[in-house]
Amino acid sequence: MKTIILIILGIVIAPVLGGLIAGLDRRLTARLQSRFGPPLLQPFYDVAKLFGKEKVVSNFWQVFCAWIYLIAAALSVGLLFAGSDLLLVFFVQAIGAVFLVMGGLSTPSPYSQVGSQRELIQVLTYEPLLILVFASIFMVTGSFRVDEILAYEQPLLVQLPLMFIVLGYALTIKLRKSPFDFSTSHHGHQEIVKGILTEFSGPYLGIIEIGHWYETIFILGICALFWHTSLVGCVLLIASTYFAELIIDNTMARMTWRWMLKYVWSIGLAMSFVNLIWLYAG
Amino acid sequence: MFKKFIGNSRAKSPWIMHFDCGSCNGCDIEVLACLTPLYDVERFGVVNVGNPKHADVLLVTGTVNHRNAKVLRNIYDQMPDPKGVIAIGACGLSGGVFRECYNVLGGVDKVIPVDVYVPGCPAKPEAIIDGVVTALAKFEGLKG
Amino acid sequence: MLPMMLVLAILLPLVAAVGCYFLRVSAIRSLIVLATGVVLAAVSLALLGQGTFTYSPGTIVGISWDSLVTLADFALLFVMLYYAFKLKNQMIKIFVILQIIPLAVFEMFFVDHAVETPAIFADSLSLIMVAVISIIGSLICFFAIPYMKEHEEHLHLVKSRQPQFFFFLVLFLGAMNGLVLSNNILWLYFFFEVTTFCSFMLIGHDQTQIAVKNATRALMLNALGGVAFVFGMIWAYAETGSLDLQVIIQAGPMGGLMLAPLGLLCLAGFTKAAQVPFQSWLLGAMVAPTPVSALLHSSTMVKAGVYIVLRLAPAYAGTFLSQGVALCGAFTFLACAAIAVSQSNGKKILAYSTISNLGLIICCAGLNTTWAITAAIILIIFHAASKALLFLCVGTIEHGIGSRDIEDMHGLYLKMPRTAVITIVGVLTMLLPPFGVLLGKWMAIESASGDMFVITMLALGSAVSLVFWARWAGILLTAPLRDKVPAESQSVLTRLTLTALAGIAVVLSFFSPMLYTKLIEPMVGKSFEITAGVFASPMGVFAVYPIFIILAAAFIYSWIETKKSATDKSSATYMCGANVPETGVQSFIGPMNSPVELKASNYYMKEFFGEERLTLWVNFVALALIVLMLGGAL
Repeated sequence: MKTIILIILGIVIAPVLGGLIAGLDRRLTARLQSRFGPPLLQPFYDVAKLFGKEKVVSNFWQVFCAWIYLIAAALSVGLLFAGSDLLLVFFVQAIGAVFLVMGGLSTPSPYSQVGSQRELIQVLTYEPLLILVFASIFMVTGSFRVDEILAYEQPLLVQLPLMFIVLGYALTIKLRKSPFDFSTSHHGHQEIVKGILTEFSGPYLGIIEIGHWYETIFILGICALFWHTSLVGCVLLIASTYFAELIIDNTMARMTWRWMLKYVWSIGLAMSFVNLIWLYAG
Repeated sequence: MFKKFIGNSRAKSPWIMHFDCGSCNGCDIEVLACLTPLYDVERFGVVNVGNPKHADVLLVTGTVNHRNAKVLRNIYDQMPDPKGVIAIGACGLSGGVFRECYNVLGGVDKVIPVDVYVPGCPAKPEAIIDGVVTALAKFEGLKG
Repeated sequence: MLPMMLVLAILLPLVAAVGCYFLRVSAIRSLIVLATGVVLAAVSLALLGQGTFTYSPGTIVGISWDSLVTLADFALLFVMLYYAFKLKNQMIKIFVILQIIPLAVFEMFFVDHAVETPAIFADSLSLIMVAVISIIGSLICFFAIPYMKEHEEHLHLVKSRQPQFFFFLVLFLGAMNGLVLSNNILWLYFFFEVTTFCSFMLIGHDQTQIAVKNATRALMLNALGGVAFVFGMIWAYAETGSLDLQVIIQAGPMGGLMLAPLGLLCLAGFTKAAQVPFQSWLLGAMVAPTPVSALLHSSTMVKAGVYIVLRLAPAYAGTFLSQGVALCGAFTFLACAAIAVSQSNGKKILAYSTISNLGLIICCAGLNTTWAITAAIILIIFHAASKALLFLCVGTIEHGIGSRDIEDMHGLYLKMPRTAVITIVGVLTMLLPPFGVLLGKWMAIESASGDMFVITMLALGSAVSLVFWARWAGILLTAPLRDKVPAESQSVLTRLTLTALAGIAVVLSFFSPMLYTKLIEPMVGKSFEITAGVFASPMGVFAVYPIFIILAAAFIYSWIETKKSATDKSSATYMCGANVPETGVQSFIGPMNSPVELKASNYYMKEFFGEERLTLWVNFVALALIVLMLGGAL
């Protein structure tokens, strides 16, 4: 019963929180660029407006894929809140990622096609890192279950400092921040028109935006696991991580996917190895 | 209630797309100036998008000729309703000094319906922002 | 009852094969294949209900079955030798002679023929294998009936070569059943050789130059595996004094001396399962007609190699050999998945992905915990179903559009909606939760988490496989698509087999918790608590039923939304406003007002994952790992 309540809580709260974070993100970004920026609730206005627009599609599978993307993202957040298995949650999230790519590929638009292919490369880049992060969490706590991990008495950050940085790379890619925003980008940025999202419009774009909020919460939730012992520490950790993301976003140029694959894999794997060897030795 | 929120949101989140029909770049620079920190139209939720499928307001600068009329029409058609069009600058309004050229059709309104005309050569950023706000009145009218 | 069932499982295919060969009427042949398939499937299920058993067949007309098998074994080796001379291949000659001589010496001077060794032993692993072979194998044989007819029409053959084709195809099912049920290691060896030979004949079936060349390579590498097997077998006998596989397995932990023969037997398994660096024969095998690829090289034959490694797993548990096997498997998983990314030939993608998944299973055998063994068995079952389905889909597509290149499958939904959707189902069952393959992968990754190198390779491998699967599923839909597309016509058998396999892959996944409690848990020991369809242990949880139900609801809901979208406005794709005005044309107005057609193709990332670039290094590293594994064993 408690599990079901937690799942529902997760599914209801996550988009609200995700939208607010997106709003805060835009405001802080504007401040970093010495602008005023939009109101905090701007992401909600945007999505509400998108839902009020005319529905236009070029392939009916787009509709199907957009909905599955949203539901899978929501389900993964729900499972995470319910204290399920980290890997399972991640694989459920992957359903959404795969369907988003399928939706992007379903139209013959060259922008959407290129964007989808790049999205796949992004998935390719962050997926092994996330699995390694989960494996290292397992090596510390002895379990993949979120409820068991929460019962561990020490912040994970103490033993897995480098893995947290590795997770940061995954976070940057997942949040579509520079230098990793190849497949599509947000705010006013443009890359190959709008990449994978080019052919989604109106309500279907809104659905994907909400799905993206869920994904933000999903990955920040995993960040939160690294300082689960104190609420203050947890909030502090997430806030400083997100702020670091903003700084990175605003100071970096967009690079190429080749660079991303080489750079993130080599740095990520090297850091993971070092951290895992510490664990072995420790 | 939800409908009302959507109606309000329309006015709060106009995503603009800018199409240059062959302007001298004077108006284009002024359009982009609106997005700079000095004017910062993102305060009003304005985002410059590059894709008609995501756009609510189309800003057109420059004279319309036989060649680009098709493109203008196509882009307008690809924008989902509700949508608005703002013609910017003397050329966009009427063809400007090029009006009598053999290849020029005239203003934007020869090809697609225009909601707001922003005159000037080039139009001032303040005038463009004012134009966008005026166009929003059209969306306000749609409030459910 | 039991002898009868065993005869049906192993000998019926032989009889049916002979029937197929001599009764050269297509209707009768189809009937024989159908009947055999149905009987085999029924028998395999009955055997599954039977549970663990041991059986000695004794004698037939005064000759013991053991001697018959030995006789057949030598006959087969000499047939191979004949082909070696016919093909003028020195390596095969050497490998076959290296089997004949030691085997003869072994049989004549070493083996104590007075000792009775039970020839047949079956536990859950064997019985699951029998079920996989008999049910999925039979479905593939059904598919072959209409397929081969069309295939020969394409080739304009004057004289049908189908009798020979079905002879080997059906015979193969019996050989595989024999292989997984054998307890006497000499029997195991015999069936091992039969599968090698069948595969050789079937790969070369089309008798084109390339087919003969690839068949030769397959024979050579599998004969190498045979040599490893013979020496491993003799060595094991020298150590334990028994031909009984169970005795050999139980003798495993007794000391370091047993590791070398076990290592050799594993090597034989590696060649059969086409692990790197022996992968080339399986890749070449893709020239054969599709049912051969599906039957031999995805769901069954290569599983024989995996089966041997997995069967011996308890014998080398906790040793260096075990770690070596895990590393080799994990490396194959990563290397082949990576190379698959750079491929555009649909069959080759499937081939690489097959090798990669077999590597994962072998890695699980090497990890050797109850978790990992459970993962391996689950992977065997579900991989067989999904992969067979995908192979048959590629075969159907190839007949439909005349190409097996995935670049040509852009927008396949417009031409073959039914096949396209089934292919997508196949891809999703390979890739996503809550389906069986992913359940297996989940268990594998969780049980590998203690090992830094293995987990890294599994993590990377699992990410690269997502790339080639997801894009393949996606491009099948690439089209401007608003109206319902009428389903293409398919022959009844094609439709039946495709639907049945898709059904098995999906429905069986739903029942995976039951499969676990009924079949796997009694054999490998308890590793999960199952409540309400949720696999749970202190390490992790995998909620099969809840996720299945939620996702099923999600799919239905999304489909309703999709149906509702039929009234939405259509739109051409965005092409900077330069669309060619006619609807349905995917072109933009280019230079000189001429239309330019849109063309998008996949990123193959050849500079990272190119076959030419990686193969040499992959083989090199894999060879080093195998030397490490065997060296550690010695």
